[in-house]
Amino acid sequence: MKSKKVKRILALAVTGVVCVSSLGACGSSSDSGESSSSESSEESSSGSSDLVMAWWGNQVRNEKTQEALDKYKELNSVSVEGQFYQWNDYWSKMATAAAGNSMPDLIQMDYSYIEQYVDNGQLLDLTPYIESGALDTSNIPENVLAMGEVDGGNYGIAAGVSGNCLFYNKTVTDELGITMKDNMSFDEFVAIAKQITEETGYRANILSQNNYFTEWSRAEGIPIVEAKLPVESADQYTPFYQIMEDSIKDGWQLTPDYIDTTAVETDPMVYGSSPETMAWCTINGTSNQLTAFQSAAPEGTEIAVTTIPTTDTVTSNYLKPALYFSISADTEDPDAAVALLDYLINSEDANAILLGERGVPASTAIADYIYDLVSETEQKSFAFVTDVITPNSSPINPPDPTGMSELTDTLKKVAEKIGYGEASAEEAAQEVYNKGIELWGE
Amino acid sequence: MHSDSKLYKFLNKEKSAGVIFCLPFIIGFIAFLIVPMGISLYYSFCDYDILSPPKFVGLDNYIKMFTGDEVFWRSFKATVYFALVSVPLRLVFALIVAMILVKPTKLTGFYRAAYYLPSIIGGSVAVAVLWKRMFAPDGVVNALLGTIGIDTNFAWLGSTKTAIWTLIILAVWQFGSSMLIFLSALKQIPKDLYEAAEVDGATKVTKFFKVTLPLLTPTIFFNLVMQMINGFLAFTQSLIITQGKPMDSTLFYAVYMYQQSFNYNSAGYASAMAWTMLLFIGLLTLILFKTKKFWVYDQE
Repeated sequence: MKSKKVKRILALAVTGVVCVSSLGACGSSSDSGESSSSESSEESSSGSSDLVMAWWGNQVRNEKTQEALDKYKELNSVSVEGQFYQWNDYWSKMATAAAGNSMPDLIQMDYSYIEQYVDNGQLLDLTPYIESGALDTSNIPENVLAMGEVDGGNYGIAAGVSGNCLFYNKTVTDELGITMKDNMSFDEFVAIAKQITEETGYRANILSQNNYFTEWSRAEGIPIVEAKLPVESADQYTPFYQIMEDSIKDGWQLTPDYIDTTAVETDPMVYGSSPETMAWCTINGTSNQLTAFQSAAPEGTEIAVTTIPTTDTVTSNYLKPALYFSISADTEDPDAAVALLDYLINSEDANAILLGERGVPASTAIADYIYDLVSETEQKSFAFVTDVITPNSSPINPPDPTGMSELTDTLKKVAEKIGYGEASAEEAAQEVYNKGIELWGE
Repeated sequence: MHSDSKLYKFLNKEKSAGVIFCLPFIIGFIAFLIVPMGISLYYSFCDYDILSPPKFVGLDNYIKMFTGDEVFWRSFKATVYFALVSVPLRLVFALIVAMILVKPTKLTGFYRAAYYLPSIIGGSVAVAVLWKRMFAPDGVVNALLGTIGIDTNFAWLGSTKTAIWTLIILAVWQFGSSMLIFLSALKQIPKDLYEAAEVDGATKVTKFFKVTLPLLTPTIFFNLVMQMINGFLAFTQSLIITQGKPMDSTLFYAVYMYQQSFNYNSAGYASAMAWTMLLFIGLLTLILFKTKKFWVYDQE
């Protein structure tokens, strides 16, 4: 009897161990998914390298950056291993690397994460290097340099300046004789959206990512996360979700079952089998992605860019660092890492390869230098930032506080519910408000 | 080494030799399983964001999980639904194929290998990506439906009703390992039992239900327990194919745990989730073992 009991306990213990080890395995299986992308890049660089640089991005960026790193090796005989991931994988990878104090030397950083990484002491303060001149910032305008300032230090150089925008399929609008003018009001946009859906079947996609939420709240004068607690009451969000609810009911908004925006290449604006499953416009990423969208689009389709329609575009538009280059506090050789950073920002050789894929280069000298080298598409994306956004914009919101990624997920889920007709505008607003209270409320 | 030396004597004892040969496993087991498990148990009582040191918060994570987290319950329900539907389906499927393949023909070997293949590759990222493409609006599934006259752009992965079924079908497709176990069990059923049944005038159906099935119950039980555990820990399919969409209807427990840990940097909460799952699976296994005496035929 006793031995039977012991056996049973043992059996349970073994079961437990088996399932915990499988829990561990699920971590590693995703690791293998990520490393497959980095391995391919390791192969192209030779054996052991002096520095490691990591970024997220698209196919165009991966190729160009790798090429620029190869060029760096050729010029300075310092080899740099490139590691690239998709957005989600990238942040999982960085979080675990940060925990193990093994972050890559040079990392691509985002506005929504920089504060969190600075708070935890994961990034190197670049101020001493800027002062010593090791990092040449003489051609970077004051306001662009200031984008990297957190708590009195400078932790990132904007790799490119850009703005949130509305991408649209110009081939579709041209066929209907519609002109998408910049700084369009939301009502004008809705009228056009209805017309396009009626005549072609294509629908608009401004719901899926929460980018529109930011523009809308800026235009309405509602600070989302400034005081960490979003707003006084859920009612303030209701009009936003009312717009979304109506857009689904009126049929001009693409429903979420056809929306996969995990990568530029799967965005329904460029990917799909028929107008009914595709979007004619999308709010997904910043204006520098125009090149990526254009190269992902089917042959013969022209993608163009305009401002996001709101009730007050001058208030809602803003210039933002498309992303930063930051140096990890874990780096063993800060001087070498700074030298690489300087190369990426100030070298004509490097930027003749990178060609502003990450946005209009922070250095005005480099921006002027490459303007003639870039494709017509990129010139449009540059012109959008300098001629359209810059003169009609307001300052950017402060960097996102810790916990924003969780709120972002809630915003996406709530948008999905609205899209499926599973929640009313009031319910959606309440859910977002509750999440804000949970994350930042007292 | 001198044969009288203490070390020599020690090494030649049967007991110490056994321990030494086991050491590589024991060390790995302790270093990579027991110690991390202990650490994760500690983290489950902490507020731990991976980047800064853990802060002890007692039972807060567990309290939040059971009282204040709707997504936790949604992911739990989705996982239970997935496991309870896909595991029995997979076992039935495995048994049917095993019954067919048990009769030796020239091609049996080939078919066994062919049907086992999905078990090996089915959990991989590549197959998950393939699956996603198959069920896309312009994927092969809709194309096939088109050839039989059903013209549709239906997004199988975009509907709360069908998305989880694409994952269930993927799981059922990986029936190979259960099938192999059934095959070997089928071969072990003594022929004289069937002969005796035939003498008594049993039909094929009666033979299956009165002879084959009862004698297979120990194997079914083993498969059920193992597959249930795997089912509750399903991860890759949900992460790659659906990312939990639409509306968390395919957000598996392990994926939500991963999100908490690596996307929201709440490793403490994720550890608490892992331990809750461990206890749940332990309990479920215990219950399954308790029911054993009611339906598992014991040959001894």
